[in-house]
Amino acid sequence: MTSTTSKAAAAPAALNDETILSVRDLRTHFYTRDGVVRAVDGVTFDLARGETLCIVGESGCGKSVTALSILGLIPPKAGKIVGGSIRFDGTELTTESESTMRRIRGNRISMIFQEPMTSLNPVLTVGEQISESLRIHQRLDRRAAWDRAIEMLALVRIADPKRRAGEYPHQLSGGMRQRVMIAMALACNPQVLVADEPTTALDVTIQAQILNLMLELKDRLGTAIILITHDLGVVAETAQRVIVMYAGRMVEEAPVAELLSHPKHPYTRGLIGSIPRRKPGAPRGRTRGRLQEISGLVPSLREAIPGCAFAPRCGFATARCTTEQPPFEAHGPRHYAACWEVARVEAKSLSEPVGSEA
Amino acid sequence: MSSAEVVLRVRDLKKHFPVHRGVLSRVVAHVQAVDGVSFEIRRGETLCLVGESGCGKSTVARSITRLEEPTAGSIELNGVDITALGSEALRAQRREMQMVFQDPYSSLNPRLSAGDIVGEPLTNFALAQGAELERRIAALFEHVGLRPEAVHKYPHEFSGGQRQRLGIARALAVNPSLIIADEPVSALDVSVQAQVLNLLIDLQEQFELAYLFVSHDLAVVEHIGHRVAVMYLGRIVELADNADLFGAPLHPYTEALLAAAPSLETGARRERIILQGDVPSPMNPPSGCRFHTRCPFALPECKQTDPPLLEVAPGHHVACLRRPVGGDGAPLTTA
Repeated sequence: MTSTTSKAAAAPAALNDETILSVRDLRTHFYTRDGVVRAVDGVTFDLARGETLCIVGESGCGKSVTALSILGLIPPKAGKIVGGSIRFDGTELTTESESTMRRIRGNRISMIFQEPMTSLNPVLTVGEQISESLRIHQRLDRRAAWDRAIEMLALVRIADPKRRAGEYPHQLSGGMRQRVMIAMALACNPQVLVADEPTTALDVTIQAQILNLMLELKDRLGTAIILITHDLGVVAETAQRVIVMYAGRMVEEAPVAELLSHPKHPYTRGLIGSIPRRKPGAPRGRTRGRLQEISGLVPSLREAIPGCAFAPRCGFATARCTTEQPPFEAHGPRHYAACWEVARVEAKSLSEPVGSEA
Repeated sequence: MSSAEVVLRVRDLKKHFPVHRGVLSRVVAHVQAVDGVSFEIRRGETLCLVGESGCGKSTVARSITRLEEPTAGSIELNGVDITALGSEALRAQRREMQMVFQDPYSSLNPRLSAGDIVGEPLTNFALAQGAELERRIAALFEHVGLRPEAVHKYPHEFSGGQRQRLGIARALAVNPSLIIADEPVSALDVSVQAQVLNLLIDLQEQFELAYLFVSHDLAVVEHIGHRVAVMYLGRIVELADNADLFGAPLHPYTEALLAAAPSLETGARRERIILQGDVPSPMNPPSGCRFHTRCPFALPECKQTDPPLLEVAPGHHVACLRRPVGGDGAPLTTA
């Protein structure tokens, strides 16, 4: 474990037997023609067995790269993990060989992606795809793997699983494909499931089906879930704990109800305020009014950001915010934020804008 | 609002796409993408079309602008029937209705500067040139909150939100009375989405614009709409004022849609209607009520009788056999 910054020292959550995954000061960089992109710039968290942790943030905040780093899926020529540690059930993953990672991936840690069509093999039946991982990881024979594949399809509530197992991905609807992905991801009983925007491409009625299914299976199988999403509504309905990321860094972490009701970081406040929703108690269908905006743009990750990455867009920013990076520290029970001005932020009501201009 | 003039009147709009199969490319079936849709929009009003993918909402938008030729029905813009207009006459009418697209990346010409993109419709319709053109471009940039010096930039130099502002400025250039916006904010991050929604509302108030706003996002619809039409498999199943639709939805599909949308209330793995199954194919829609295959409240007659869209309460239209005219709107129970 490295402890190069104060963030690692302020490691949240208890480190004990219950911790299945422990990420410390993770830094993942990409190398482009225009320079180094600091996609993940010091991320630290623990995941307990059976827990649902959501990582939320807008495009480019580093949430997906964090997931890919955990799975060892950063394309080797494009980028790499340049610092920090990822410990999974006692094993350090950042230094593991590709062959060991292959044994872990899809077996003990699996992943669901946003677009099932691009992650399923179009020329294999879904039954073959599910049984493939069972034959490799669990050493099941062809027959047993096929039977288990059908069992998994039934588990994710695909009607007529025997017939569906013999079908190709293009014969299934979007919702069914995502169910197949879940069946495949859970086939080997992984301890950790990383789901990157698993319902973003789906319609709301199908999204509701899939989220319910994931949570139900989690309760049944005891899998810990890292759910990556941009949608705070999905967070509210699924997460136990939430991490908010901005420009490759963690800006806030708290249990979900606490985060949504008492956000301490101005960015989290802005994110919540910019979602169209009714004021509590207001009649439905009359939400019209101004939404909170966060003025300005996300900073370029090609340059080192000396202070707080959100400072240029933040109405609470002081001179210190632009020069000194705020530590990620506790501001309440299990509630962490990286902000120098938490006291001033908390003194303002939630409905006040966070932007740097009116 | 109801006394204001009608900008757009759509009657019984149909759009069927032929399905070709085999070596002779014979037409073997039709996808009934839009199958009898009627509504009107008044000056200064936002009508939202909401529904899941494949429900036909975008096809309605594209048929109204005649980017798709409607199969049947009529479209009246400011009292002029444009359904059968020839290309020259249609061109003149297109000034009155402009589109804003979902993907600001693909709907802007990458080889034109921002100023040229916004000025193009003005030049096309010979509305301005020279110094006057530049003055109007500058004014449009100001209206949508872009910096004046941005006229010299190219699309790739803008962020997603700024590109959408550019798309809106281009739509505004010819002073249209109607803007048709097809998922204009769904490709944007929420903080940027908020900026664009605020802008659309401001512009509507300033110019009394009518909006046809196509979206799958109920939170956005609840925020921006005055009236909402819910579509399912090519039909409108419910049409009502925003407050009525969100406050007292009558169609079981609308209820399910509202229940499925995630809310910010935590621990909300609440009891809700979760629809089973997927949307059936519009190539071969179910008989009777198209929703009966997924409807928890369907009666035997729902399989046979296709329910018409009826005004069951003032301004509240619904197509459901279990929602008769003058009904009490009480929650349905499974039969």
